[in-house]
Amino acid sequence: MGLTDHFPVLIIVIFFIAAFLSPLVYRLARKFSAALILAVLTAALGMAIFLLLEVQQAGTVLYHLGGWPPPWGIELKADPLRLYILLVVLSVSLWIFIYALRDLHHELKKRVIGWYYTLYAVLVGSMSGIVLTNDLFNLFVLMEICAISACAIISIKEDRECLEASFKYLILSAMGTGCFLLGVVMLYMATGYLNYGFLQVELAEAFNYYPRNIFTAAALFIVAFGTKAALFPLHVWLPDAHASAPSPSSAMLSGVVIKIYAFALFLMFYEVFPRELLATIPLNEIILWLAGLGTLFGSIYAMLQTDLKKMLAFSSIGQIAYIFMGIGFNHDLALIGGFYHIMVHAVTKGMLFMVAGVIIYSTGIREIKDLVGIGRSLPITMVAFAIGGASMVGLPGTGGLISKWFLALSALEIGRPVFVLIILASSLLNAVYYMPIVINAFMQQEETKIEFKPVPRVMLGCMVAGIVVVVVSGFYTTPVVNLLEQSLALIF
Amino acid sequence: MSPSTVIAMLLAIIGLPILMTPVIMYSCRFSEKLRNLLSVATASIVFILSLLLYPFVIGGGEIQFTLFEVLPNLEISLRLDILSFCLAALASFIWLLSTIYSINYMATEHACSRYYPVLIFTLGACQGIFFSGDLFSLFVFFELMSLIAYILVIHEETEEAMKAGYKYLVMTIIGGLALFFGIIIVFELGGTVSLGVGVIIQEVSTLAFIAFICFLIGFGMKAGMFPLHVWLPDAHPVAPSPASALLSGIMLKTGAYGLLRVIFHVFSPEMLLQQGWDNILGVLAVITILLGSAVALTQNDIKRRLAYSSISQLGYVLLGFSILNSNAIIGAVFHIFSHAFMKSVLFLAAGAIIWKTGKRQVSDMKGIGRQMPVTLGCFSIAAFAMIGIPPLNGFLSKWTLALGALDANMPIYVLVLLISSLLNALYYLPIIIPAFFEAPGETSPDSDAGHDEIQFDIREAAPAMVAVMVVLALCTIIFGLTPNNIAFTLSRLTAEFLLLGGAF
Repeated sequence: MGLTDHFPVLIIVIFFIAAFLSPLVYRLARKFSAALILAVLTAALGMAIFLLLEVQQAGTVLYHLGGWPPPWGIELKADPLRLYILLVVLSVSLWIFIYALRDLHHELKKRVIGWYYTLYAVLVGSMSGIVLTNDLFNLFVLMEICAISACAIISIKEDRECLEASFKYLILSAMGTGCFLLGVVMLYMATGYLNYGFLQVELAEAFNYYPRNIFTAAALFIVAFGTKAALFPLHVWLPDAHASAPSPSSAMLSGVVIKIYAFALFLMFYEVFPRELLATIPLNEIILWLAGLGTLFGSIYAMLQTDLKKMLAFSSIGQIAYIFMGIGFNHDLALIGGFYHIMVHAVTKGMLFMVAGVIIYSTGIREIKDLVGIGRSLPITMVAFAIGGASMVGLPGTGGLISKWFLALSALEIGRPVFVLIILASSLLNAVYYMPIVINAFMQQEETKIEFKPVPRVMLGCMVAGIVVVVVSGFYTTPVVNLLEQSLALIF
Repeated sequence: MSPSTVIAMLLAIIGLPILMTPVIMYSCRFSEKLRNLLSVATASIVFILSLLLYPFVIGGGEIQFTLFEVLPNLEISLRLDILSFCLAALASFIWLLSTIYSINYMATEHACSRYYPVLIFTLGACQGIFFSGDLFSLFVFFELMSLIAYILVIHEETEEAMKAGYKYLVMTIIGGLALFFGIIIVFELGGTVSLGVGVIIQEVSTLAFIAFICFLIGFGMKAGMFPLHVWLPDAHPVAPSPASALLSGIMLKTGAYGLLRVIFHVFSPEMLLQQGWDNILGVLAVITILLGSAVALTQNDIKRRLAYSSISQLGYVLLGFSILNSNAIIGAVFHIFSHAFMKSVLFLAAGAIIWKTGKRQVSDMKGIGRQMPVTLGCFSIAAFAMIGIPPLNGFLSKWTLALGALDANMPIYVLVLLISSLLNALYYLPIIIPAFFEAPGETSPDSDAGHDEIQFDIREAAPAMVAVMVVLALCTIIFGLTPNNIAFTLSRLTAEFLLLGGAF
């Protein structure tokens, strides 16, 4: 076996190796510690691209860890869809990490920066694992790692607010994983398998004997992943956690982490539970309505916020609901929309949290009402905010429109135009809270003079990259949409 | 002209202003003259390029060209036919004149380094609307223009302007979402949103009806159709006058243009008439006409009065669309021309008065005609055209619309047109008559001053501003003298093109 055959596991493992090395490197050769994580992220990205090209040619790759075949061994699966998600995760993580290099020195104490790199590597590694794994127990372990490292990159700021928020997150997240474990146990009882592929085959039969167990497991999964991904009304932990964290952590958590769980729920529904099961109980319907309410309520809550980062966090609740809506429609167009939105929202929300970070870095302002006139001193930053806001609203020329287009189209396709109205209503609500900030930032004269610290070029560069991706994703969609069509064809 | 030249020209017409925007913004750093020069030059090049398309379209040429696909079957494409030519040429002409007018008008205003780039950018977006080959590109440019025009609306940055601007923005976004809904339904039903395929929706269904209503909301909002006109009387008056002229004269028409495209390329006139959907438009148009004129009567601010008048005038255009026969469409398209000329003159003249004297209230404008005879002269010509006095272009459009109404056996519409003309007279004449026949500052008309010789104390606006107004006022006369003028011929050809499905 050549090295390239081990890529699926290497993508995960190198992050954990880097995580172990990072504190050491930070102590011995401080200059190289950031470079190490950068190198690992780039290497993982390269491997993911290589795998994607290979998978597109040779078909899905199944990797057996340690040579143990399933159902006993751990199996990793690399199909186009997972690799797409992996690519989004890795490239957005890399992008946010570059931004974090400058921002962290401002927000964190010097002695913890090395640890931050460690936690970052663990977080990205565990997310890659969640995406690639094909085994429920392995998924559980990785979810725990992911939750704990996510908690840690919130609480690393070491102020009261962060500790409180991360504690809240820890408890609710533990509840989520608890539900998940319970569900896994029920499925294991009914079938004796943990591997997705085996489960799907076996569940179809076991369903006749243990329908209640399996229904309960499905319900538990919805609660588990719903909590983790902040599906309305299980979102209560998110605003505090995402708003109080250091800005790169917020960007990471809001931009990437919650989507991983939405994707995991998708895998449960399409790769673990047999299709007939979904037909017998309205699981989709439940998700759909929760998502519909989420898009509206997320926006309504966001309108009421006075803190910029809190507003962005609430907006994430509305946006993640679009992705759940994509899952709930049970239609390939909707899934394209949902998965496209995973990418668009990862970039957009990442960029918006960067903007919030730059504003805090430069002026120390967090309150929305203090942002009046700030666009004259931070033009690029506020242009990024304007474009990000436009993408959230779904204005033409931004990626947000494309995902909404697919979602709305599939709502019409399955004959439920009411969901188009929900999507449009939530767009309008988004406009109501994003627009005034942009307008005030540029138009009105500032009354009190704010002190500005010059913004490092790297941070500006990251935001400009974000702007470019958001705009390009609104026009040049062919490669991503083709990839998604191709990968969903394997599932439907 | 070969098709590839035409496409290159279309791209230049849309692309040049958009590309020039950063250049103009950058040139502000060096000198104001350079900035003004670049703005005027860009607008003139766009105008000339638009005119150069004339031989192509008059020969029956029609081009549909896909630039690239955004999604499968959803593309950004260009289209040139006689309808797009008419509006593009008109828009670039008015734009050029407004830009020239701006140079003097804006000289004393703040934030010109923002005004000019935005003005030129909206020109590009506006031309983009007219040259869009499918509803999706039209939607993209439509939103782009509407959102960027917000900056023109709130230019003064007064509290009033910010309030009006916010209203404008919210309505624009609601309109945009309605359009999105409409377009996605069309895509779902027809599998395409291209304007080049003839009729997209062949069958009547609930969804099709919802789409029609959505388009009516989305485009009607822009055109100031009742009951979606609420943003207009606030937003148009607060903008600087040249921008008001463009907002009322051209940007309103993008809504009318969109509706025209939807009626003829998405649905078909036969279908609308069969289903009675034209009645919805007809009723709304009648309300719009009467309401706009009636409310205009009560306004004392001259620009607000003009804005309400725009609402009622766009009602004529919508009325023409709802009648849907040859004469009505000719009248409606010709009225798009007429109203663009008339309303720009009116707004620019009002702007000149405000610029020179600072007076905005109609009641303060007594005797102003003795101070600014040319300005008020142009104003009067345009106002007479609004009332529909021959031989001005307003008469010609009303005449044709009325013929259309009679052809469709709807004499009631003729009555509506006449009532509205009367109302127009009622709110325009009280501006003009005191302006010329009462001395400034005079409290009652029957004082001693009546026996004196009329004193002209001429303090006109800047020559360039006056020249612009005179050119536009001449247009209202030239295009009204006989029906054998270029605007009317183009309208006639457009109507034939639309009703006969492409063949002249």
